[in-house]
Amino acid sequence: MDDLYLILATLAFLGGFILAAVSLRSESPGKQGLNIPIAIVGLIFQSLFLQLRGEMHGRCPITNGAEVLVFVSWSIVIMYLALGKAFRLSLLGVFSMPMVFVFQLFAIIYLLAADPGPRPPAALDPWLELHAAMSLLAYGAFGLAGVAGVMYFFQDRQLKSHHPGRLFYSMPPIRYLVDALVRLLVIGTVLLSVGIVAAFFMKITPDRSHLLISGAVWLVYLTLIAVHQVKRLPPKPLSFSAIVAFAFALLTLSAL
Amino acid sequence: MPIFCLGVNHKTAPVEIRERLAFAEKAVPQHLGEICGLDGISEAVVLSTCNRVEIYGGSENPAAALDKLVDYLISHFAVEPGEVEFYRHEADAAAHHLFEVASGLDSMVLGETEIFGQVKKAYATAQSTGTTARRMNKLFQQSFTVGKLVRTSTRIQQGSTSIGSAAVDLAEKIFGQLDGCRVMIIGAGEMSRTTAQSLLSRGAKSIIVSNRSFDKAEELAAELNGRAVRFDDWENCLDEVDIIISSTSAPHAVVRHEMIHRVMSGRRGHSLFLIDIAVPRDIEDEVNQIDNVYLYNIDQLQQIASEGKARREKQIAICREVIDEFLREKGIEALAGLPEGRGGSGPDRIQPETAARPLTNP
Repeated sequence: MDDLYLILATLAFLGGFILAAVSLRSESPGKQGLNIPIAIVGLIFQSLFLQLRGEMHGRCPITNGAEVLVFVSWSIVIMYLALGKAFRLSLLGVFSMPMVFVFQLFAIIYLLAADPGPRPPAALDPWLELHAAMSLLAYGAFGLAGVAGVMYFFQDRQLKSHHPGRLFYSMPPIRYLVDALVRLLVIGTVLLSVGIVAAFFMKITPDRSHLLISGAVWLVYLTLIAVHQVKRLPPKPLSFSAIVAFAFALLTLSAL
Repeated sequence: MPIFCLGVNHKTAPVEIRERLAFAEKAVPQHLGEICGLDGISEAVVLSTCNRVEIYGGSENPAAALDKLVDYLISHFAVEPGEVEFYRHEADAAAHHLFEVASGLDSMVLGETEIFGQVKKAYATAQSTGTTARRMNKLFQQSFTVGKLVRTSTRIQQGSTSIGSAAVDLAEKIFGQLDGCRVMIIGAGEMSRTTAQSLLSRGAKSIIVSNRSFDKAEELAAELNGRAVRFDDWENCLDEVDIIISSTSAPHAVVRHEMIHRVMSGRRGHSLFLIDIAVPRDIEDEVNQIDNVYLYNIDQLQQIASEGKARREKQIAICREVIDEFLREKGIEALAGLPEGRGGSGPDRIQPETAARPLTNP
């Protein structure tokens, strides 16, 4: 059943992206507003998947690569639904959906090929749960910051080319993209900081490599924010850094 | 009781005719009373703008009512018989025409929104004068619904249609809301003034004007509620602005790459938008290669405006489908369903099958 929920969630995000892409290219904007309801449907199926996996393991469902990818995707969707409107970036969801789809596709392949099944039961540790949840929510914010960076490059290119296409008029202003990107970096870093602090209170001592990798990701983002605060990074290097930093963060996930 | 519409617009009559037929705003209530006093006309709304003069009304015999209206206009305005070709619409065609007008499809700038307010005002005036009844009330309320529906469900408002609106749209895609954006004009020409006014209308502030003739700069600065600076000094003000409009008559580049490069190093990541509407160009092309700087010249803005116009033209058919669908599903049915004596079930009732037939382009 959990596999089915994951497949349905993945199909929802694929469908949402296709619908949005078709709508943006068509002469009539008719179904453009559907991306939020579709994201909500996808989120419901993701949540059902994570709930079933959580019940199976008796703990936060991040016991293998597939679950981590789904959890990160879930965080990205939550972040988008919570902040997209506030940041006046409704298209952030459209640009995030392909990424969420790819993450979940990998997760489906992984689970169908070799689902490791339930982990042996462990004593419930709220600090461990807090550490995992906050860290993965942080990855969601970092993922969206990367998406905002991609959107910045797209819009910048349109403006520089002097031939703005149809999508140009549906995209947010570049200033809003940069503002949203910075806020997402700050939100992600704060969440990750909470996650790392929580790790020090866990009953089990986290292994050294886990701590080092988490610390490295945290340091990368903290440095990025600090440099931006002090030197006010121009939008292009800032966007590029957000994309590269998220790629690095994703790579570290496989090592965690 | 069928509805009708009689009028002229920017497509059917030159401005010399339209200005003679224009209803003075204060005199509209009096004219409305007189029109409703004409034999057979029971309701009337006058829509008089710079691009159109139209009278909507209800009558048992619309053909006769339209003839009487033409006579009334000829006798009250300085036009001769045969000098003006009025368009006449009855029943569903009149409703369709009003819906197109409210949607901006009949406007000089396709999809513009000003007409929507003008239709609302015309209706409010007629309503307060007491020359509308249920049929006109319903018709105009529906026109507001359709006007909004067309604008939200199509792309008729998307894209720029003039150099000024292209500049404003680009500025908004860079800065978002223009509140707080500072503008500098180099060269106090007519195009600069128009473009600056477009930016001001969308919230831009603190205009700085520089011109070789300082008197002209002061004059334009006063008009735009800005500040004039001497031509030798404009370079020192580059740090203070977000948008630069240049239109001097200099035969060489006035704004150079190294100037902007230097300025950008101190802007802490803030974008700069340069609009070069001078021929020969005032701003070196290489400026556009600087990160965070966006330079558009007059040809590029013109091209965006042309593409925007073409894009809006393509939307007309989609907008008409929206209007037709509304008329089929709600409009004509609702109008036809009004009680007898107010356009209800009598022989003059608008038949649903009439509504379904293809409508002519007014």
